[in-house]
Amino acid sequence: MKRYIFRRLLYTIAILFFVSILVFVMVRLLPGDPVEAAAMWNTDLADKTIMAELRERFGLNKPIHVQYIIWLRDFFRGEWGMSLGSGEQVLDMFLDRLPVTLELFVGAVFWSWIIGFPVGIISALRRNTSLDAALTTSAIFGVSIPAFWEGIVFIYIFAVIFRILPPSGFVPFSEDPWQNIRSVIMPTFIMGTQTAGLLARYVRSSLLEVLGQDYIRTARAKGLKERVVIAVHAFKPAMIPVATIIGLGFSGMIGGNFIVEFMFAIPGLGRMGIDAVFARDFPVLQAILVIVALNVLLINLLVDLIYGCLDPRVRLNN
Amino acid sequence: MTDAITDQIEPRRAPRVGFRAVLRAIIKHKLSRVGIIIIIMLVSMAAFAPWLAPYDPNKQDLYHVLSGPSMEHWLGTDNVGRDLLSRIIYGARVSLMVGVLSTLLSATIGSLIGLVAGYKGGVVDMVVMRITDTFMCIPWLVFVLVLAAALGPGLINIIITLGALGWTGFARIIRGQVLMVRELPYVEAARASGATGRRIMFKHLLPNSVAPIIVASSITLGLFIMVESAAAFFGLGAQPPTASWGKALRTGYAYLEIVPLFSIAPGAMITLAVLAFNFLGDGLRDALDPRLRGEGEKL
Repeated sequence: MKRYIFRRLLYTIAILFFVSILVFVMVRLLPGDPVEAAAMWNTDLADKTIMAELRERFGLNKPIHVQYIIWLRDFFRGEWGMSLGSGEQVLDMFLDRLPVTLELFVGAVFWSWIIGFPVGIISALRRNTSLDAALTTSAIFGVSIPAFWEGIVFIYIFAVIFRILPPSGFVPFSEDPWQNIRSVIMPTFIMGTQTAGLLARYVRSSLLEVLGQDYIRTARAKGLKERVVIAVHAFKPAMIPVATIIGLGFSGMIGGNFIVEFMFAIPGLGRMGIDAVFARDFPVLQAILVIVALNVLLINLLVDLIYGCLDPRVRLNN
Repeated sequence: MTDAITDQIEPRRAPRVGFRAVLRAIIKHKLSRVGIIIIIMLVSMAAFAPWLAPYDPNKQDLYHVLSGPSMEHWLGTDNVGRDLLSRIIYGARVSLMVGVLSTLLSATIGSLIGLVAGYKGGVVDMVVMRITDTFMCIPWLVFVLVLAAALGPGLINIIITLGALGWTGFARIIRGQVLMVRELPYVEAARASGATGRRIMFKHLLPNSVAPIIVASSITLGLFIMVESAAAFFGLGAQPPTASWGKALRTGYAYLEIVPLFSIAPGAMITLAVLAFNFLGDGLRDALDPRLRGEGEKL
């Protein structure tokens, strides 16, 4: 097991290194540079000598591999650079916005679990009934519905017609807990929808597979109540493969987070990333992309380790 | 995704199923039947747009802007007085074109890379797999936003972006499939009789991977339609005056309180299209994958 953990860790670090190169190159593919973007907003800067000076100051005129090494070194030192748009320290901006985005993710996980698990379990237990058909179809619907459309429909229903939820905006929990909850209900639900659908489908098929096993028949044959068979004998083993899609769901939630924070004007990391794309704010964009990738990698590492613990075949095969 | 997951989805030998058998199976499958009907509807919408659309989709009528549904304009008009229904009918062209072309592009690139990686093995395989792992760490939408912004607006750029990102999934599927059949006697026989590496890859290994590619293509197509409209929502992709669902949805969003259909109708079309390809993908998987067969038919 130790060997397995070590290998997975090494792998994660290697991929993170590749990601950093990919991100760095990708960000530099954006047309124009931050100085040009800044000059468009502020005409005082639209002067050749000033622009050259700014490029010099931000190190934008060094060769690309030198820029990369400097960036990597500073990143590890916690010096994430300065936002070219606002002049704030990127690390400070990140820490400011982190709690907001974290709250959204917690909410999204809450919705996806509270919907995904029951739907999956019920449709497995009532398989081939019309209830199962309805639930399975809604699960595919949940996977297919684009977050931005779901957002518009929800805003129209709950904010325009019934006026029971705010159409956008975010109120910090510390300011007003009740308004805070109200402001995140729609965004978190939208972020969780896709994962809920995925989860429901996986739980259903995994549970069905386990229920077809011989030992379940044995458990039933020895007269155990159906409830006990499901809860004690079937549920746990069925959940092992489901663990693997939690990573997949997480990656989808990040995409949803970008859309939701944009639509609902929520000052979190997704919004910060989108603003950075359009403002060509290299330092901010690089930091966001690396953090996103780091999180995806860590979640996958965690899932793999849990999986390795639960299922010995995995770690022995590797 | 990660190794643990790829181990989970064990590649299986492609079943020998004829085209007719597959067609029969997906038509028997309730959901994929619905999917096929929707897809036929969308394709006809795109193909016969000039005959179906009641108005010229680009004709502005500034005296009738943002009108709600009426007898003249069934879905109303947009912010410059263009007929919404006509624009939605024409919009099918953009979504389908981007979806089909970018899926073709990524399936082709992915199949080639996966084929070579699986067949050559060793360092080539390792490098390719680590590259796919790297790509998979960054969520789709984020990737597309940055790349599409880098390449600039325009449909061709969206297609290139999606193709350049979508190959990883295909490469993994083909590689898994190739690894499995590579050691089978018939491949060995081909090699013994002097077949070149290229011949083995294209004549013997690729045909064995067709079934999973078809299933993945259907689901990818739906995903790409969704991502294209998300990009349009952020102002990338089709440029005015091209009628596009994502674009209409974005513009209409600003007028949600006055004319809700302006954004809700194009969004419904996007959802319908994504749903149809996911339904079809489900049916195809059941038809082409004998292990799961039976699961879906009971829906």
